[in-house]
Amino acid sequence: MYKSLLNVIVALNIVAAVSCIALAYKVVALPMYAEKTYKAEYKELIFQCDNSMREHMIAKNRVLTEKSEDSVKRLNAAEVGLLSCNSYDKLRKRLLTYGLSESDLALFGIEAIEEKAEDVRNFVKIHEFKY
Amino acid sequence: MYATLSRFTNLSIKPLAVISIFSLGIGVAHGADEAIKKILIKSAKDAGFTPAADLYQNPDENLANFGKVIFSSNKGLSLNGNISCKTCHLNERGSADGIPNAAAIGGKGESVERLLSGAKQLPRNTLAFWGRGAKEFKTFFWDGKIDYAGVQPKTQFGSKIPSSDPLITAVHLPVVEIREMLDEDAFIANNKVENVENSRKVYRRIAKKLVAVEPDASLGIAKVLGKSVDQLEFLDFARAIAAFIRSEFRLRPTKFEKFVNGGGSLTNEELTGGIIFYGKGACVTCHNGPHFSDFKFYAVPFPQLGFGKNGFGVDYGRYNVSFQPKDLYKFRTPPLYNVEKTAPYGHSGSVATIEEAIYSHFDPLRNIDLAKLSPLDRHELTKRLSANDSSLRVNFLTEQEVKLVASFLKTLSF
Repeated sequence: MYKSLLNVIVALNIVAAVSCIALAYKVVALPMYAEKTYKAEYKELIFQCDNSMREHMIAKNRVLTEKSEDSVKRLNAAEVGLLSCNSYDKLRKRLLTYGLSESDLALFGIEAIEEKAEDVRNFVKIHEFKY
Repeated sequence: MYATLSRFTNLSIKPLAVISIFSLGIGVAHGADEAIKKILIKSAKDAGFTPAADLYQNPDENLANFGKVIFSSNKGLSLNGNISCKTCHLNERGSADGIPNAAAIGGKGESVERLLSGAKQLPRNTLAFWGRGAKEFKTFFWDGKIDYAGVQPKTQFGSKIPSSDPLITAVHLPVVEIREMLDEDAFIANNKVENVENSRKVYRRIAKKLVAVEPDASLGIAKVLGKSVDQLEFLDFARAIAAFIRSEFRLRPTKFEKFVNGGGSLTNEELTGGIIFYGKGACVTCHNGPHFSDFKFYAVPFPQLGFGKNGFGVDYGRYNVSFQPKDLYKFRTPPLYNVEKTAPYGHSGSVATIEEAIYSHFDPLRNIDLAKLSPLDRHELTKRLSANDSSLRVNFLTEQEVKLVASFLKTLSF
């Protein structure tokens, strides 16, 4: 009786330990791995998609304001160009399944958009802006 | 012959001849100088030069002293941060902040200190205040998002424009700009969808905060406007701020104004620089009118610094307001009063001197280290160059001529 109880406790401990490891893997290790491995690619894809969307909007506005055969051709090309956003979408979903949150991804997005903010600080240092 | 004449006249002819030729030279030079002065004065007047005093207007002048308090009220103007108009519009920095991109909410101190203390950066260079609200100053901000130049004012307020005065309307924008004077907290997150009711809620809350933080100035404004303090709206505070800006940053007589009015002189360098400005350089084709700006929009391929209004180091300029592809990369012609005090230059403050700013108009690659650009930056530069309006307009100027134009521009200081 005592031995079988001990076996149950050991088994429960093993399950708990495995669960903890699995949880740590899922909540900590996997998101960390995903961030380390895919963050740069994700930021690059954000830019590619953003660029395609901007180009698409400009092409659409061009058709509205300067409609011509050429502006329509450019809009068609810009629409196909939006496929760049497919890769971004796929990676975004994969990162969510890897345990990164919407907030994490939003932060990567802001980092990507504002990457050049550091250039301003460097410019000020290089030109020795001192008052 | 020389010896004979000397003998007859008992005079030394050589020195006499030198004196005569010298006198003749001065006469010719003097005549030429006078002609050049006349040409410069006529060119300035033809291009719309107007004495500073004739441009001043301030319908709410009696609000200016209270406006001064509101202008610098860090706790009152920023709903959830610590920043006011004065943080970025400093007298000692030519009424701007002296750094390339504005350092807004979240930092400490001013100018460089604020930038390096981790303030959130805005994508554009802080504009100076000189002449804002003066007569004929109708288009505000780099991309002209407040534009009263046409029959119908164009603003982001649609048909609910706060004021028929463009400066008062312009004062409404920075206080509700997230990153600029607002941080995104729960209240802002709930009200940031752009519609009239939401924006009213935010403005009401700012007005209430100003009443609480600046009770004396609020009481003063209320008395002048014949209202009770409880009735004060943000519009009333905006009127007071505008009155202060008009008064404090009014245009004043310059060395050039005194010259044009016949009461002062310019050095040879300034005079020649002026002739280049109005002539060979063709600067006047855009920098004209009472404020040395036609308030139109042109693409001048300045280097891009910072992340840009469109992110990733891209700034489409006027296009962001008009959505017309022809407006891509265009910015409003900057007025030139006190230009020597408002470095750095360009929409992103990417060049440090007036001379570099002049080069950007006709030799833009001089200011750009192509080897340091990323492939995207090179692509964007190529697009800016292809949209370029200025290089076909401004002629080639030598290094010396650029210096002369810069010395002329310094005569627009006061």
